[in-house]
Amino acid sequence: MIDRIKKKAEELLRTKQVDLIIGYKRAPDGVSVAPVFIDKAEETKELIWDTYCVYNLSNYLKDFRGRKIGIIAKACDARSIIVLLQENQLKRKDIFIIGVECSGIVDEKKLLSISPQTSELGFDERCRSCKPSKPPIYDVLIVQEGQRPQAPRLEKDPYGSVRKSEAKSISEKFKLWQEEFSRCIRCYACRQICPLCYCPRCVADQTQPSWLSRAHSFRGNFTWNVTRAMHLAGRCIDCGECERACPVGIPLRDINKKIEKDVKELFNYEAGLSAEQKALLSCFDKNDPEDFIR
Amino acid sequence: MPSEKFFVKEDLYNKLEELSKEFEIIGPRELPNKGIFYQSLKNTRDLYLGEGFAIEPIKRFFLKPSEWIFDERFRENKNILEGIPLPADKRIIISVRPCETRGLTLLDKVFDSDYKDNFYINNRKRTIIIGLACNKPAKNCFCTSMGGSPIESRGMDVLIFDMDRGLIAEILTDRGRELFASIGEGLNEGQRRLLKEDKEKKKDLVEKKLSPPEGKELDKIFESDYWEDVSRPCIGCGICTYLCPTCHCFDLVDERRKRLRCYDSCSFPDFTLEASGVNPRPTKKERYRQRVFHKFDYFKKNFGENLCVGCGRCIRHCPVKIDIADIVDKVPGLKKE
Repeated sequence: MIDRIKKKAEELLRTKQVDLIIGYKRAPDGVSVAPVFIDKAEETKELIWDTYCVYNLSNYLKDFRGRKIGIIAKACDARSIIVLLQENQLKRKDIFIIGVECSGIVDEKKLLSISPQTSELGFDERCRSCKPSKPPIYDVLIVQEGQRPQAPRLEKDPYGSVRKSEAKSISEKFKLWQEEFSRCIRCYACRQICPLCYCPRCVADQTQPSWLSRAHSFRGNFTWNVTRAMHLAGRCIDCGECERACPVGIPLRDINKKIEKDVKELFNYEAGLSAEQKALLSCFDKNDPEDFIR
Repeated sequence: MPSEKFFVKEDLYNKLEELSKEFEIIGPRELPNKGIFYQSLKNTRDLYLGEGFAIEPIKRFFLKPSEWIFDERFRENKNILEGIPLPADKRIIISVRPCETRGLTLLDKVFDSDYKDNFYINNRKRTIIIGLACNKPAKNCFCTSMGGSPIESRGMDVLIFDMDRGLIAEILTDRGRELFASIGEGLNEGQRRLLKEDKEKKKDLVEKKLSPPEGKELDKIFESDYWEDVSRPCIGCGICTYLCPTCHCFDLVDERRKRLRCYDSCSFPDFTLEASGVNPRPTKKERYRQRVFHKFDYFKKNFGENLCVGCGRCIRHCPVKIDIADIVDKVPGLKKE
């Protein structure tokens, strides 16, 4: 599989179809993976593909607006590319998507706690509620050859954990999130790693007026985390990068999933499945159930 | 002259229980599936004495993530500025790694030298630090390359070694001696030998190495494209700086008639954004270069040491695996032995 990825990347650079390839390479530690940016055809041999390729590389597309970019995309990454296209953040002709068939990626934090003897891979939770193994958008698709590797066990109900949390009382939920948000260090890694957080000036950085307290208190932390999640309503494609990046282990996907479920139930909409579809919160429908909007 | 004492974990827990009447006890605690966090321990048995490393260093108990520094209010038709009273309660921070305390000794050079920062100095004075030597450095640790080691005791009052059969405490200051006066017993010949062997063994535990740049070597490549290449994956979050035991840049914000000092990070785009709209560090290249230069060039010129203790936190927690040790090690044109 990796040979075909390298060959395609090499060809794209050599024929000048793209200026730059965004892909994965081995990190200095020899095990994990780091993002790599390649502009010379001969350097494409650095590329790799395995279950450690955890990053959603589409986050980097905004750094290269206006240039021709080739990008290696898993199913979840491709879904965020779709949202970026819907929201006019990218031009389709500027990007060449090398779609890769994915059979789940690892949870590096979980791996640390699993002894090397266990054969079962520590798959990321996000992969257990991801339906497609093939990207919904691509220019070329590279599929797995031969026997498919063991894939993560899919959750029967992708919203099972949301339902469990919905069943709790408000005071219980508040106490839980109070504890979780109390650890927030306001490093904004959740925002920076998110492909869909591209506001030129984030509400959290505004000072005149200042919308949320910079103090490391529950009030400021709560406002920040809820604002972030709400701004992704109908847009989040659950790539889970925010939760992976969070250094203090706040279960951000739980919030994202809750909003995703609400959006699905209210509007029968799932983000990032088709580029032809209009973005949920920026379109108007005559059949909208709410009176005020008609 | 440091003295040593031997005791078992149970003795330590009991001692801490007793001390908690007089001191606030702060120590690492393991939260399931979250990691290890320094917390004020209500139950001293929650204290984590294992091999893992806390996510946040103890910096936050000295240079707080956010600190109210004064209060402005109207009284009798007058606008009054009031200082925030300094806390006086005494604290013990226990199970601290050598690199983190070394970080404090570097922060001392900034906040307790020509400039005296009352908040920081007060926090230093009211805190006793009990360290824990590392039995198993993480793969990202590189303290020995930065002048530290798993058994370094600089900045500590007591340093504990976790031996198989119990704990050996090296008492380093009078404060520490007073604290440990009624616990454990002096070492016998065999224990003394064990400690010596243990120290020798621990010195070589750290595998990751880097050769930090010397003198003006970094100056020459200030304009190099190297910085653009290495900073490309950077997403511009504050993890590396906030979790660094030595990063100390802060921002001042006014909120509700109070002034707040809070952490800031050179990786944020608006860190150097000026009121005119000009930003002297407009891209990731300048911002990441600043991080490396502050640590390995400017600070060294000003204070004679690198502003890095090799704790590996910025590598361990970087969401895109940026490895500052690798980047500094591979700086083009550096002299290599």
